[in-house]
Amino acid sequence: MEYFIHLIIIIGIYLILAQSFNLTLGLGLLFNLAHVSVYAVGAYVTALLATELGMGFFGCLVCSVLICGLFAIILGAISIKLKEDYFAIGTLAFSSVISALLINWKSLTHGVLGIPGIPRPEFSFLKVDFYDNINFLVLTYVLVAITFFMLYLFFNNFFARTLRAQSEFRQATKALGKNTRLTRNMSFFIASCFAGLAGSLYAYYINYIDPSSFSLTEMIFVLTVVVVGKPGSFWGCVFGTVFLVLLPEPLRFTRDVPLALEWLFGMPYPQISAIPVLGWLITPVVSFLLYASRPSVLGPMRQMLYAVILFIVVYFRREALFPVQRRV
Amino acid sequence: MEILPQLLVNSLISGSIYALASAGLALVYGLLRVLNFAHGHFMMVGAYAFYFLAVEQAYGLPASAAFALLVIVLLAALSFKIFVEPFASLSFFLPFVTTLSLATIFESSVSIIFDVNVKSLTSGFEINSLSFAGIFITPVQIVIILSALVLLGLIAFIIHSTSLGRRIRALSQDDYAGQALGVSKKKINYLVFISGAVLAAYAGILIGYETNLQPTMGNAYTIKAFAAMILGGLGNLWGTIAGAYVLGLVENLSIGIDFWGYSLPAGYKDAFAFVMILLVLLFKPRGLFNKEAREA
Repeated sequence: MEYFIHLIIIIGIYLILAQSFNLTLGLGLLFNLAHVSVYAVGAYVTALLATELGMGFFGCLVCSVLICGLFAIILGAISIKLKEDYFAIGTLAFSSVISALLINWKSLTHGVLGIPGIPRPEFSFLKVDFYDNINFLVLTYVLVAITFFMLYLFFNNFFARTLRAQSEFRQATKALGKNTRLTRNMSFFIASCFAGLAGSLYAYYINYIDPSSFSLTEMIFVLTVVVVGKPGSFWGCVFGTVFLVLLPEPLRFTRDVPLALEWLFGMPYPQISAIPVLGWLITPVVSFLLYASRPSVLGPMRQMLYAVILFIVVYFRREALFPVQRRV
Repeated sequence: MEILPQLLVNSLISGSIYALASAGLALVYGLLRVLNFAHGHFMMVGAYAFYFLAVEQAYGLPASAAFALLVIVLLAALSFKIFVEPFASLSFFLPFVTTLSLATIFESSVSIIFDVNVKSLTSGFEINSLSFAGIFITPVQIVIILSALVLLGLIAFIIHSTSLGRRIRALSQDDYAGQALGVSKKKINYLVFISGAVLAAYAGILIGYETNLQPTMGNAYTIKAFAAMILGGLGNLWGTIAGAYVLGLVENLSIGIDFWGYSLPAGYKDAFAFVMILLVLLFKPRGLFNKEAREA
């Protein structure tokens, strides 16, 4: 049960992160590879303020959101002239600068050791603390609801239409009198603010952060979520998050497969594998699963699973995924 | 400034590695307009294939090199067939996303097969540095510099004075016109993609001798190769190679020289490549060596 609650909280955090990425990638076709780095900045701001200065929940949250917004403005200023491939490389470089700073600025971020001991939030005026995971779950989903309400508005108003239009034909949008530059930067700003919110929640929930939690692997996960849920689709992204967070979970139970088989067949495992045909079919599968359940294999296996899913989805939807034709 | 000659030699060494690593990327981009994110991972896979035969199985150098070459040629052909070709003509995003997933697949398979710990190709024997007039250099580093010169010279010869090179140049300038004149785009694409991967793998093996191997090294070298390419202008082969040497120079000077009694910690060496990408994109988005204007 405890584990189930953990999964639901993680889903909540990723919902915020993925939906905000969906705003820039799905609507604006802005391939912002620095999204997870901004999320990392949000997590680090909260972690540092909470451990070093002992700031409260709302203070940390607001600071994380605003500082991430500031990073979005810097990113927007750097990348405003860039299109497509240049833009992807520019944001990739920006995210690499941030991860290099997280690793090397030891006096501030403690380098690869990370920041341990982030206290969970407490609301003294309500006499509530969030050390209990159920309470934290409620807090997370209140924030998810607020985020989704605001993002839903952003996905369905003039702003989204302008963003879509500029991704399709920048000059024509400009000719209609829309400020494409402002729209682009606003989409960064909004997405990064929500990424900061997700980072702040993550730091509070996990209590310990280090640079390895915010690597490119994480970016690929978020990208997979948005691509699986169809870029630009609000509820598709929700489906993608839930599906992909839960997908590798059965991998954790692979070491119990022989036990399950013994229970199913009512005989010890060596006897099962000796059954003609059926046993020969089962044995290689089971030994592969046992191999995959080793901790040193499980992590890369999970990465590979996401990469393969990303590829398969892109392969089968390659005509429709980022169409050149009009969609607005 | 007695350290300056040593720094210059060091930057020549890292510049040579970056040049070997980024030449293939620039050729592929020039031909297909595809940013191959898995390029650095071909270095990693090639180096690990070499490591597998040379250290774990203790075969000789020629056998290991042949094996690594075979593995890379097969993998590159297969990757091109599956991960690049179906998407190259559709949208810029698609090949970038698929090569990102290819890169992750490479990285995680190597971490599963060989473990995530650092491996070294030179664990069996000791390398003595030679010293010339106060400059220390190992035989491996001499090989790196010389082979970069030889291989880049070979590329220059092929591109500029053979019929194959003429066909490659024709397709990178205008692929419709080239195809209309009877140049097989498919063959040239495979050839360029595979030879780029082989060059990268060769650079990866040299890195294995020079420092060490790790499954995560792919990303770092991909981004370095992107940096060299941005410096030289996307798709401009000679600009990219010049950019690689500039990158090596800036990286080594940035951490080696005292700025008024304060010097940067060595950990920031890598960050310099990324800061340079950002600066070039900000002030000279066409690259340092590109004259023609970009459209739109």
